Amino acid sequence: MSESLIPAETLERVGEVLSGPVTTVIDRREAQRYAYAVGDENPIYFDEVAAQAAGYRTLVAPPTYVAHAVVQPRTAADLRTDGLYREGTRIRLRVDRVMFGGEEWDFLEPVCVGDEITATVRLAAVDQKEGRKGPFVRQVRETTFVNQFGDEVARSRMIGIAR
Amino acid sequence: MSTDTDTAAAAPDLETLEAGQQLPPMHKFPDEAQLFLYSAASHNPHRIHYDREYARFEGHDDIIVHGPLQGAWLTQFVTDWAGPAARLLGVTWQNRASGLPGEELVFSGTVTSVDAETGVVELEIAEHTSDGRLLMPATARVRLPTT
Repeated sequence: MSESLIPAETLERVGEVLSGPVTTVIDRREAQRYAYAVGDENPIYFDEVAAQAAGYRTLVAPPTYVAHAVVQPRTAADLRTDGLYREGTRIRLRVDRVMFGGEEWDFLEPVCVGDEITATVRLAAVDQKEGRKGPFVRQVRETTFVNQFGDEVARSRMIGIAR
Repeated sequence: MSTDTDTAAAAPDLETLEAGQQLPPMHKFPDEAQLFLYSAASHNPHRIHYDREYARFEGHDDIIVHGPLQGAWLTQFVTDWAGPAARLLGVTWQNRASGLPGEELVFSGTVTSVDAETGVVELEIAEHTSDGRLLMPATARVRLPTT
């Protein structure tokens, strides 16, 4: 086993809330703009009759749209040179590079236009693994999305790979 | 920025569906305009999706297709196949390599399990470039309507 890439203080933060809760109302125009940008013109996103015929309360949003709906407005002064916003909460690791490894989503209830969604991001896991190219850290940020009825509607786990 | 599916097939029938069956592939043709629109619609200011010079400075061959856009295509691939009465229960994907504007991207999928009682179907999915580079191995769970 090589030297740990994860400082003890970071291990202690597993379970901690990293951002949120933030609450947003799902806007019809923004959800449809997103569906068009994806090139997904499913009638359940655009036609209320089609959405209700498919068993939804009203127009539904594309499944992963909720993650983008809750992005809060930020000043351009917060942009770094790579175009990403400076993060308020940083996870300290002894690594040079963090990459997006992938995502895991559970869709529990539909997210419809007009729903009020509250998102909370937690540090779900930080584990060191041995890979072919040496040790790396697998970091999981879990976001839970809860609607105005108190139902959890979706859960996403974003997996970051750092080495 | 168009989508092609090989067949406009009817929704899958739970009665006849079984593990090993293949989904009709879906083809995507992302261009710069689509990457721009997706950056805007998803509130994503990451420079590697719109600044070619900067993307190359970071070691990419060109500006690159967003991971979450490919994830959204994955959900579309499944919901287009399953039909409006189905419910997507979950997806997972791994970002293995980056797609570039101008490339043809192909989604293919295989049924791995069918539960006729609950209607839950599990799928194994892959996104490749048309020349066979694997971008995104993925899985999905979807519940088909039971009669």
